[in-house]
Amino acid sequence: MASSRSLWRSPALRNLLILLMIWEMVGQLKLVAGGALPPISDILIRFWQDRADYPGHVAATVWSSTLGFVIGNLLAISAGVLFVLFPPVQRLARGVNIAVFALPAIAIAPILVLTLEGNAPRVVLAALGVYFITMTATVVGLSQYDTRSADVIRAYGGGSWKVMKLVRLRGAVPDILGGLRIAAPNAVLGAILAEFGGGGRWGLGTYLLGSLGRGEPARLWGIGLMATLIAGLSYAVFALISTRVLGATRSVTLNTALPPGDGDADAPLALRMALMIGAAALPFVLWWAFIRLTGVPEMIAKTPWGVIDYLFLADASAVARAKLGAALLQTLPITALGMVAGLGFAFLLAVSSRMMPGFIRAFMPIALVTQTMPLVALTPLLVLMLGRGLSVTLWITISVTFFPAFVLLVQGIQRVPQSVLDLPRAYGASAWKELRMVSIPAALPYLFAATRLTVPRALLGVMIAEWLATGTGLGNLLNQSRGYLDYGMIWTVASVSVCLSVAFYYAVLAVERRTLTRLGMQVVE
Amino acid sequence: MAAVPGISLRNVCKTYRSRGSAVVALEGMTLDCPPGSFTALIGPSGCGKSTAMRIALGLEDHDSGEVRIAGQAPATATASGITGVAFQDAALLPWRSVARNIALPLEVLDRDPARFGAEIAKLIELVGLKGYENALPGQLSGGMRQRVSIARSLITSPEVLFMDEPFGALDQIRRRQMNVELQRIWQETRSTALLVTHGIDEAVFLADYVVVMHANPGRVVEVIEIPFPRPRRDALYGTPEFHALTDRIARVLHGQ
Repeated sequence: MASSRSLWRSPALRNLLILLMIWEMVGQLKLVAGGALPPISDILIRFWQDRADYPGHVAATVWSSTLGFVIGNLLAISAGVLFVLFPPVQRLARGVNIAVFALPAIAIAPILVLTLEGNAPRVVLAALGVYFITMTATVVGLSQYDTRSADVIRAYGGGSWKVMKLVRLRGAVPDILGGLRIAAPNAVLGAILAEFGGGGRWGLGTYLLGSLGRGEPARLWGIGLMATLIAGLSYAVFALISTRVLGATRSVTLNTALPPGDGDADAPLALRMALMIGAAALPFVLWWAFIRLTGVPEMIAKTPWGVIDYLFLADASAVARAKLGAALLQTLPITALGMVAGLGFAFLLAVSSRMMPGFIRAFMPIALVTQTMPLVALTPLLVLMLGRGLSVTLWITISVTFFPAFVLLVQGIQRVPQSVLDLPRAYGASAWKELRMVSIPAALPYLFAATRLTVPRALLGVMIAEWLATGTGLGNLLNQSRGYLDYGMIWTVASVSVCLSVAFYYAVLAVERRTLTRLGMQVVE
Repeated sequence: MAAVPGISLRNVCKTYRSRGSAVVALEGMTLDCPPGSFTALIGPSGCGKSTAMRIALGLEDHDSGEVRIAGQAPATATASGITGVAFQDAALLPWRSVARNIALPLEVLDRDPARFGAEIAKLIELVGLKGYENALPGQLSGGMRQRVSIARSLITSPEVLFMDEPFGALDQIRRRQMNVELQRIWQETRSTALLVTHGIDEAVFLADYVVVMHANPGRVVEVIEIPFPRPRRDALYGTPEFHALTDRIARVLHGQ
């Protein structure tokens, strides 16, 4: 184990050093966009000059994201336990869960700033960023318990609660920790996004916003790398804790029996229909309740009905619809194009990963680091390097879809047992034939999962780029409306982008279910 | 002990239905285990032997018929702690030490494990795991884990002991060793034991009665009494009487 790990690490470290050296040279020679990529030495020097600024901003961001992380995860874990104990509740909450997962944080940041005060928008956005990941991890962990252990409990007359307490909760700890690990950088991203979109004096997002117009690439890079470092450290902390815990939790032998499903088909049709309608309505009910509870005047805070009124019934509704339509026409094609390119590239690279394991081993750590890099900190850097044209939007979309898809696909393909790969080879199949017969079909479920999971990220990336760089599309519309105090439009853009994201998620899921059922495969959660 | 049978199944039927197709797991199964006896259920895969045991433990419902454990309904019997159970593949909680795994049934039954320290220590010694009290299951061999499972099944001092292929995951040699130990442990407790197994050797070596079952539909075809005196020793495997009995059971199993 120790030797394979150090093998895994040393080429990665070597590649990192090579990368840093190339970076330094490229920066010194001003090869990228006339010095938009400063050499590392410049970034470090600038960082030293700015050292007095950092502690306050870093402390503010860490404080908000930590608070959001704790609150969001407490909610997520309690919700997960509740969902597993009472499956109908889970079905009822499905709409809310998907909406929380799919909402582009940038779209609701202005709304939170309008309706909440002080630090609250940052905390809420950080909490929203962690909720779905941890909730899902909790549900998966609690569902995949060892049925044999549960039988022992039940054979002594123990009920569901005893099984939950003695077997499932403790058994889910590694999954929950895995969820926390992935969620931690998201909390940082959420907090920075809210700082970015919502004023205030302290926080890395505020610092970034204040430094944008100054034409100081070295400082922007310093802030971006600092944000990445915080996110990366938060990931590392939970990675460390989970390796400590995992040793004692892995089952000693393999259980081949699956835990019983939630019995979806058993419920009467009427109940299932009621739950479906309730699931679709609940997000809007919560939206309405949120407005009522915060007590913000109707002028500023729109209810679902207020948005419909603004978009279809009010006097100026035709103008609003035209503006929204034009923005969507700019945003959607570029999002789709970027996603197709990013996913396609990830798929090609991942299925061929078996042929060049050395490259993948060296590349994976870099791919993982980019996962923790807060998008909002990355975007200004890309803008510096790529200018303000359409290409920057495209590149951002490709990069935000490529890396998660690649990681997911490689992990999926690595689960194919060696013996399955050996079989075609034993019959003299060529590498291409093996790829076609084994690796590509094995990767397919993960490609679908990656598509579903990267939609909100892609939309978020495009909107950030539009807001910051290109001045087009939904992102720009959101930014402009803030300037014009056009509250109706802010709420409209937010709700439309969430609905689009959810609709696209379900569309992919439908195609995925149909295709995989035909191929006799399982949907990857 | 009274004449109430340790385990009694009367005409128990169970059918699994899923999307139109139905599999008859048990068709009118009747079984009586006298108190203090050792009974082995043997039969091919799918004959319902595990289902019968799961029904007797209240882990699954049956469609018709009557089930009594020491004269009580299964749920009442298991919840009052008069039963013990050991499954195939030990099924230990990987995060609990040997001692705490053995104490698990006590916690399910809301008894204070702290008051059973002496019993736990005695059982650990009985199954030959002294010194491993604080080891985690991942640090033990397959045979040792099965012993923990046996010790766990005995912590409530059960009147009735159920075992579903407890040594199914072990190789032939380890199995024979474990069978000798199991007999010794069982003789000390004098409980009513029901063993579900695939192995004819194992059934004949351990049991007073071997109940042979057939599949499709699952049913009892013959009950064979095993007359060998106890304690039975390893040498028994080589005797002509032993072979005569295993041959007879094999013929019944194959429907001849």
